[in-house]
Amino acid sequence: MHNQYRNDEARVNITYAGQNGDLPDTVFSQASDGDIRAWATEAVRNGSIPGIRPSPSASFHGFVVDRFRATRDRPYNLIQLRPKTPFG
Amino acid sequence: MTKIVTVVGVGALGSHLVQFLRSEDVSIRVIDFDRVEQKNVYSQFHSKPGVGKKKVASLAQGMQMFFGTKIKTFSHKLSSDNQDALLGGDLVIDCLDNEASRILVQAWVRKHEVPCLHGALAPNGSFGRVVWDENFAIDSETELDGATCENGEFLPFIAITSAYLARAAQAFLLEDRKVGFEISPAGATQT
Repeated sequence: MHNQYRNDEARVNITYAGQNGDLPDTVFSQASDGDIRAWATEAVRNGSIPGIRPSPSASFHGFVVDRFRATRDRPYNLIQLRPKTPFG
Repeated sequence: MTKIVTVVGVGALGSHLVQFLRSEDVSIRVIDFDRVEQKNVYSQFHSKPGVGKKKVASLAQGMQMFFGTKIKTFSHKLSSDNQDALLGGDLVIDCLDNEASRILVQAWVRKHEVPCLHGALAPNGSFGRVVWDENFAIDSETELDGATCENGEFLPFIAITSAYLARAAQAFLLEDRKVGFEISPAGATQT
C-alpha cells in the first residue's frame, strides 16, 4: 500500500480530541498549512476520518502542522495535524 | 565505554523516562530545580515520601531503592549562566514544560552538536510527541487550557509517551538509529 505513494504526495494524520486517523486520500505534499486545516475541519465535521467520531463543531484553530519526509522505516511523506504540545 | 544520557526535567515525562532507562548500559544525569508536590505523586514517578523534596533527589532515592540504580543529580534551574556546566553527554533528552527553557536547550545542543530528543505533551492527555531536535519546533504555551498531571487521569498516557521516549533513546544508543513517534491515545505513528 505504502509503495503506491508518490514523492509529491503525503499522508495526512490527524489527532483531534484524543482520537486519531488519516484523511482518506493523500494530498500534495506542499499543500499549505491553511489547506491542511481546512480539509481536516471538513473531514472531521463530516465524519469521514476512520478513527475520529464526527464532530460538527470541530475546529483546528491553534493546531500545528508538522511535515516529515519519507524515511527507510516510513516510506511515505507524512503530514501531521496535531494539538500544541508545550508540556513535558 | 558507558554512554552518558542527560535528562532535563524530571516531572511527568522525565521521571518515568528515567525509570524506563534503568536497564540500559548508560550513566544517567538528571537536571531539575523543582520540588515534588502532592499532586505530582498521582502521575509522575515520584512517591509520597518524596513530597517536599527536590525532584531529582526524590527520583534518585526511588531509583536506588527500587532498582539499585544510581543517577547523578543536578538541582538547578537551567539558565544561560549554567547551561555549559549542566548540559552535555552523548544524548540530551528534553522533558521540560516551558518554552523558555526548551529554547535554551535547543540552542545549546545545536551549537555543540549533541544529539537531542524532545518529549512533549498536549494538555488533557490528548497527544504526545517524541521528536529529534532536527525536526523539533517548540510550541508555545499560549491559547491553551487544561493540565497534564493535576490528578492521575492521564498517568497511563504519560507513561506510554515516556515509554516511546525511552524506546527512541534505546534505538539511538544501541542501533545508532533516530526514530521519533507521534502518540495519541489511539496509538502511535513512527515519524
